[in-house]
Amino acid sequence: MFVFTTAVLPLLILVLLVTVGRKFAHVTMPIYALILLGIGHFIGLAVAPPDREMGDVQRIMYAHVPAVWVAMVALTTNFVCSVMYLFKPGWKTDSLAEASAEVGLVFGAVGVLLGAIWGRPTWGVYWTWDPRLTTAAILLVAYMGYMALRRFVEDPEKRAVWSSVVGIIAAVDLPIIWFSVKWWRSLHQVQSTPKTVDPAMQLPLRISAYAFLALAIAFIMYRYRIALAERNAEVALPEALPTDEASAKRTPGVA
Amino acid sequence: MNALTTLVVLGQVAAGEVGSGRITGGWGYVWVSYGITWGSLALYALSLWLRRPTKNLTAGPKE
Repeated sequence: MFVFTTAVLPLLILVLLVTVGRKFAHVTMPIYALILLGIGHFIGLAVAPPDREMGDVQRIMYAHVPAVWVAMVALTTNFVCSVMYLFKPGWKTDSLAEASAEVGLVFGAVGVLLGAIWGRPTWGVYWTWDPRLTTAAILLVAYMGYMALRRFVEDPEKRAVWSSVVGIIAAVDLPIIWFSVKWWRSLHQVQSTPKTVDPAMQLPLRISAYAFLALAIAFIMYRYRIALAERNAEVALPEALPTDEASAKRTPGVA
Repeated sequence: MNALTTLVVLGQVAAGEVGSGRITGGWGYVWVSYGITWGSLALYALSLWLRRPTKNLTAGPKE
């Protein structure tokens, strides 16, 4: 029953909002995210017990861990869209890739910043070149480069192809970050999952994670609409893209 | 054998230097972290609202 109400039910509602209630998701998703965020962070800050060794500082986990998880999900979405674009080019795929990269970068930056703050009272330093921290920093730099590339290239077709390639290359870092604490001797603890934390801390961690996921979905939805509107505005310019005939003649997957 | 004994002694010394107990206080770090989280997400939401498209456009020629 506990697992159903904390793990299955919030996810079920999330899926229903995205699928059945898709028409109203731009309104319902942010509201649902804020409700979950309020509940999750309230339990994390006021109800959950302090950690045996880290004390109250450990409460940073309920914001740090979900932010990093959601960043990984968003950037994996970017990777999938990047691969899809190279096989079947489409403005919707390109727009979703752009949206998921930007949202992933925002959550990733929050996660790394919170990790640095958490490191000060527990490790004694804000930053150290530990494998987990280093690979996370590389990730941020890589996706900042991705976003910069999208700004610098004017031709929408070239921009979409080049950024897809960069998105695929940058995504190589995702599994390295995840497994870095297992592959190398890391100062960073192993992944915080419901299996590795105390049951009393599972509830706020799960609810906060779903809150961040709902928020990320809402952000991606809004950012996707902005990106698609930009693509349409670019395509509306006569010299912006090759003609339909030229597009039909070109080799599939190549700009 | 001598090296092994030295290693054992060093190990015992190192174990004694490992801290015990719990970090006390630290609420300042917690509030700063949550403040950064809520503030960053609110600012990003605001940036999305400011960049919102003025009208719904149809899909481009690739769709």
